[in-house]
Formats: sequence, C-alpha cells, structure tokens
Amino acid sequence: MRTDSVEGRPAEDAVLVERAQHGDTEAYGELVLRYQALATRTAYVITGLSTEAEDAAQDGFTKAYFALGRFRTGAPFRPWLLRIVANEAKNRRKAAGRRPTVDLSVAEDRPSGDTALSPEEAALASERRTFVLGALSKLREEDRLVIAYRYFMQLSEAEMADALGVARGTVKSRLSRAIARLREITAGEASVHV
Amino acid sequence: MSERMEERELERTLSDIGERLDRPSRDMWPAVRARIADRQARPWWSRLNLSGSTFAPVAATLAVILVAAFLFTPGVADALGHLLSLPGVQIYQVPQTPTARPNASPPTFAGQRVATAAEASRIAGFAVRTPAALGQPSAIYVETAPVRVTIVYASVKGIPVSPQAGVSAIVVEFKGTIETQIMAKAIGPGTTLDAVPLGTGVAYYLAGQPHQFFFKDPQGLLQPETLRLAGNTLLWEEDGYTYRLEAQVSREEAVRIASTLR
Repeated sequence: MRTDSVEGRPAEDAVLVERAQHGDTEAYGELVLRYQALATRTAYVITGLSTEAEDAAQDGFTKAYFALGRFRTGAPFRPWLLRIVANEAKNRRKAAGRRPTVDLSVAEDRPSGDTALSPEEAALASERRTFVLGALSKLREEDRLVIAYRYFMQLSEAEMADALGVARGTVKSRLSRAIARLREITAGEASVHV
Repeated sequence: MSERMEERELERTLSDIGERLDRPSRDMWPAVRARIADRQARPWWSRLNLSGSTFAPVAATLAVILVAAFLFTPGVADALGHLLSLPGVQIYQVPQTPTARPNASPPTFAGQRVATAAEASRIAGFAVRTPAALGQPSAIYVETAPVRVTIVYASVKGIPVSPQAGVSAIVVEFKGTIETQIMAKAIGPGTTLDAVPLGTGVAYYLAGQPHQFFFKDPQGLLQPETLRLAGNTLLWEEDGYTYRLEAQVSREEAVRIASTLR
C-alpha cells in the first residue's frame, strides 16, 4: 500500500480524493483497493450474486470517479462511495427483476473465528447462519441494507446515515425496525420447525 | 432451528455472517481503471452520471449556474435554478450539442403505441392529458421503465413541421422526483431560456439552437433520445407531473397551447 511520504502512514481518504480530483488516477486506485471489499459486500447484499456484485462494485467505483468533481470537500468518502455502489446494485437487481437470495454457501469454507469451536458448536453456528440468512432474504431491501451496514460492515451511525441518505435519527429507528422484523421472521420460522 | 433466537445470539450470528460474506476475488483496480478509460473515450453525454439519489441535485445545479451564468442573458441563471427544481429535470450547459441526425422519415418514438389517451393513462398509471389547442393526437406512445408518455401531433395547422422532430408538435408527460432523475437536457451556448408565467405557476421556454434530451433507460443509464435534437420547448410542472411541449412556435403560443391541457 502506498503511504504518506512524511508520516509513513497510509494516506487519508481526503488526501487521496483530492489527488484523484486533480487527475491522479493512482490515488484513486488506492481508494479502490481500500474499499473494494466493502463495496462488493454492499452490492452483494443487494444483488445476491457474487459475480454481479463485483460488476456492480466496479461500475460504482467508475461512476464515483466521474462524480468526484461533485464530491463535497471534507465529507467522508466511504459512505458516499457506498451510496453510489448501492444504487448501482439496486439498478441491476431491478433490471434483472428478481429478488436477492443472499447465499453464503460459497463462503462457508472461509476461515473465521469459528476455529476454537467444537465440531458440534461449529455445526450449530453454521445452522444459525443459514437460518438467519434465510430470514434476511425475506426482508425488504432497505431493512437488509441497514442491517448489513451495521453488522456486516460495522459502519458508524453517521456513516450509515450518509450511505443511506437519511438523518441520523432515522438510522436508529430504521435499524431497530429492521431487527424487529428479522426477529419476527426468525421467530415465525422457528415455530414452524418446533 | 427449534428455538427462538435471543437478541444477542441474533446479533452475533449477523456479525458472523458479515465475516464470511463474499469478498472480491481479485484486485479490482485494473478493471476499474479500464472502465474509466473506456468511459473517457466515449462522447460526453454518455458520461453524464445521474444515478438515482446518488448525487445531490443542488450540487449539479450550482455547477450549471456557474457555467451558464456568463453565457446566458441576465436573469436566466436564476431561471435555471428554478428549472432544475422541476421534478425529474436536469439541465447541463455544454460547449456544443451533438450533430443532429437527418430527419427520420417517418420519425420514430420509443414505447408501446396505443390508440387513445385513456389507454395510455391505464398503462402509465396516471391521467394522461392532452392540449386541446393541438386537436387530436396522431399517435401516443407509452414507456413503462421509467413511465413516460409521448403524444405526437404529425401536422397541426399553423405549426410548421419541425426540422428536428419531423412532426408539428410533441408532448411528453412523466412523473419524476428529484431522487429519480428521468430526464436530462443539454443545451449549447446558442440556446436561450426564459421563465414565463403559466396559470398560477411558471413554465420554462427553451429556444434558439437545437438542444438534446436524454432519458434514463431501465438500467438507469442516460440515453440520448432518438438521436435527434429538440426544437423550441416549453417545460412545466402541474400536480407532481412534468410536461414538455416541443413545437416550432413562439413563447406566447407555447404558453397558450400549454394552458389548454385537459
């Protein structure tokens, strides 16, 4: 990763954005590298397909590049970018006319914090993930996205507000409602299985 | 699962899912850089980027006013500012408009052709209105993604056939919001813009050099409309719907026609 030549630290987003605004494409490349995972996850939560999510993220980065001239100096870059990527992903999903199915089957082999779990506990955790994912896919897009920003991407409340284009107070209530709906669904599904 | 999940367990599972969510399979920058280079090689209008609520319309408004202020007559920048608040409309000042395609014969319009305004209303989901002053439409087209109705008047007494459109008049109606920019316009330095009273509101009259209209396609991308340039145009809004009258008539005549919308 390129660094700030004076401090030896990674350059701040604002510095990279400013460089990119002045035509330094490599500075923009560093922003892409920094946020490609976040952008892809955001798109994935909306589209439900890995390949489409990557494509949407790439298009989002491209659109954001051409919109840099309208980027407000001093504003946080990350939520601004995610908003663009999310819109791109929504457009693709609408065009495809289908409902997303967030499927983690391809990710189940990925290393995670489960290594300390016993085989039984790991199996139970896996079952919980599948169960919650099934419930997530039944949520409305805006509910799914607010949950994803909070729990999948650990965005702050202020970032979530920027990324969703709503007031901070709205983020709290929207997240609360989304979790409540998710709980309702999981409770309903559980009772079916009893 | 046979038990109701506790809240903490639900949150832990969500975080666990987040850790496992898909990541890009490779460094995206080479692909993004290639897409940027590809877009830079395209004509300027395909680079206009109005994806939904992504960008604050106000920012675009200010940019346009800054560019347009010295090119237009005094007061026009103010009119532009108001015009940009019309639902679904954005105007861009550009150094030159694209070269017009020779007149299509017959002219082509997008969407499903329907026989009556009532049928168009049923498909579009809103009451399609027609200006009584123009008489019976020659054709009506309805697009549904996004919803837009185009009413064509091939020949109207007293209104010459437009060298750009190949017909006497066109009326376009749609419901737009600031969040879903349906239509954008690009105007060159030879185009004039005036704010004029219409009923209890304001309409905007564009005249002079032809200008280019763009519409969003179902993928949210801006497309130049039928590759033709528009002639004199009146834009206005009523009850949340935006109307556009395109005809080679004076400002006063355009306002008179618009006032007969039924």
